Amino acid sequence: MYNPYRIIEAEVIEVIPETPTIKTLRLKPAEVIAFATGQFIELTVPGVGEAPFTPSSRPAVKDVLEVTIMRVGKVTEKIHQLNKGDIVGLRGPFGKGYPLEEFKGKAVLVVGGGCGFAPLRSLMYSFFEISADLEKLLFRGGCKNPSEFLYRKEIEGWAQRADLDLRLTVDQGDSTWKQNVGLVTTILDDLDMDTRNGIAIVCGPPIMMKFATIKLLDLGFSEENIYLSMEKNMSCGIGKCGHCRLGTYYACKDGPVFRYSKIKSFPGIWE
Amino acid sequence: MYYISQPNLLQLLAQLKEDYQVFVPVKSGEQRYYKEYTDAAGDIVIGEVRPFEPLKAFFVRAREIVAEDFKSDIPARTSKPLAIVGVKACDLKGFKIQDFVFSDHDYQDPFYINNRQTNLIISADCTLAIKTCFCLALGLKPYPQEDFDLNLSPIETGFLVEVGSEKGQLIINKFYSLFENAGKDLINVKDEQRFRVIKEVENNIKAEDIPQQDEFTGMIERNYEAKLWEEEAKTCVECGACNTICPTCHCFLLYDQKHRKRSSRLRIWDSCMLKDFARVAGGANPRPKLWMRLRNRFEKKFDFFPKVARIYACTGCGRCIWACPAKIDIRRVLKKLTENV
Repeated sequence: MYNPYRIIEAEVIEVIPETPTIKTLRLKPAEVIAFATGQFIELTVPGVGEAPFTPSSRPAVKDVLEVTIMRVGKVTEKIHQLNKGDIVGLRGPFGKGYPLEEFKGKAVLVVGGGCGFAPLRSLMYSFFEISADLEKLLFRGGCKNPSEFLYRKEIEGWAQRADLDLRLTVDQGDSTWKQNVGLVTTILDDLDMDTRNGIAIVCGPPIMMKFATIKLLDLGFSEENIYLSMEKNMSCGIGKCGHCRLGTYYACKDGPVFRYSKIKSFPGIWE
Repeated sequence: MYYISQPNLLQLLAQLKEDYQVFVPVKSGEQRYYKEYTDAAGDIVIGEVRPFEPLKAFFVRAREIVAEDFKSDIPARTSKPLAIVGVKACDLKGFKIQDFVFSDHDYQDPFYINNRQTNLIISADCTLAIKTCFCLALGLKPYPQEDFDLNLSPIETGFLVEVGSEKGQLIINKFYSLFENAGKDLINVKDEQRFRVIKEVENNIKAEDIPQQDEFTGMIERNYEAKLWEEEAKTCVECGACNTICPTCHCFLLYDQKHRKRSSRLRIWDSCMLKDFARVAGGANPRPKLWMRLRNRFEKKFDFFPKVARIYACTGCGRCIWACPAKIDIRRVLKKLTENV
């Protein structure tokens, strides 16, 4: 029988510093871990522990995957000390990815905040591959300040793309910032899309997701068409250990991406 | 229906030791617990009432290794399969929850399934109730009706034996000379005894005014914002005893250990009453207050499980009442929840 707790060895082949608190690790697992965009993996530092991350790289690239990690706790502290050549462990992929097929033919708005750019980058790569099948693609991204703007250069570079309508904002600007200043909700007005039939995908800190969802409903998006990435304490990945319960679901196996309509009745979803 | 005498049962257990690791309930003072059967010890008590520890302890160990280094194989088990004797009806209901979690839906847990597939369950009737017993409120009877291989009903000099599975029948066939056919008079004795114990549990329910499970529908949603959670949690010391002692609680924590060059992943029982249970990276905690975690415990048992598995995750075994140092009484909480309609 398959052991869902087994750990697959992976080598750190590159460490990319992103911001003062965020690094991206390029990992080469000993066997292929084929993930769908939106699925997550558990990354183990041997002897220390594991933590869940959604890969930020192209799902189409099978032999190497990237995870972008903010230093916030015990495991991520150790992850930030890793160097090229170090060995880590991986489990997964777990959960359900974004239903890309269902988005075809529709206008899609992606709203990201802060660390939420990591999983969304992987999603955007997938969208770029199928953008001809989308009615249109919009990205609205916000961050605290320009120095903590994850993948800033890359995302600013997306402005050149013909298949993307891009707007970015920061809560607090500086001399390098020439774009909008304000919360991400301030760049959600005047969307050039049919909001009633369009798809909205939101990933970011809970408080940002809450206010973005309220705004999106206001703009006419339907509850079924708003997709949220729910951050819960996902551990076993298979709905057994109990830590990531969200109403009648476990974020690890039923999510972590949920339609708003599926979870809106549960109390305390934004906490 | 068969009959087996006390000496023959001990002989059967001795025989079962060949193929199984056999555990029997024993009594020391007022404490009942499971002990590995070695020889005919005088402290075995098959009947009476559920032991101190919940049955789940045999199937999801309090601490076990689930992965080692980067090997794909399941860490080997050296022990024989389990034969647990004297299991009571309340603990058998615990199987319904544990089976649902670990083997019956979505993903399977190989460790649990290994234990369950090879196990032999020889259950037994309760021959008395203690003050905290309230299984009848959860739709159970104080004697096993399902989920056993063989069931023993203690009577005077021996036991009536009911077959509950093919595996149980094979045991009877294999050791046929130890059994006799049970006569009508013995069956009457068993029925009278069962009736008497039901009365005892009924008296408990009356004395404590405990609601029946058909009154539970919607009680958590209705009381989600109620004051009772704060009232009840006031004395809680966050020890997690209610979780560990509960036959249906299944949550666990995965953690890593490194010894010299070897790294192991272990799982240990976890408790949703502990502060960091649902805490996420960066420190955000969806249930920062104790009363929220107490509410969550009841929500899981009386709202989540009925919705996903059509069963209340409580067996009426009363262990949590007995274990709680803060005297948080599940019977009182259920009463408050159902009073507020």
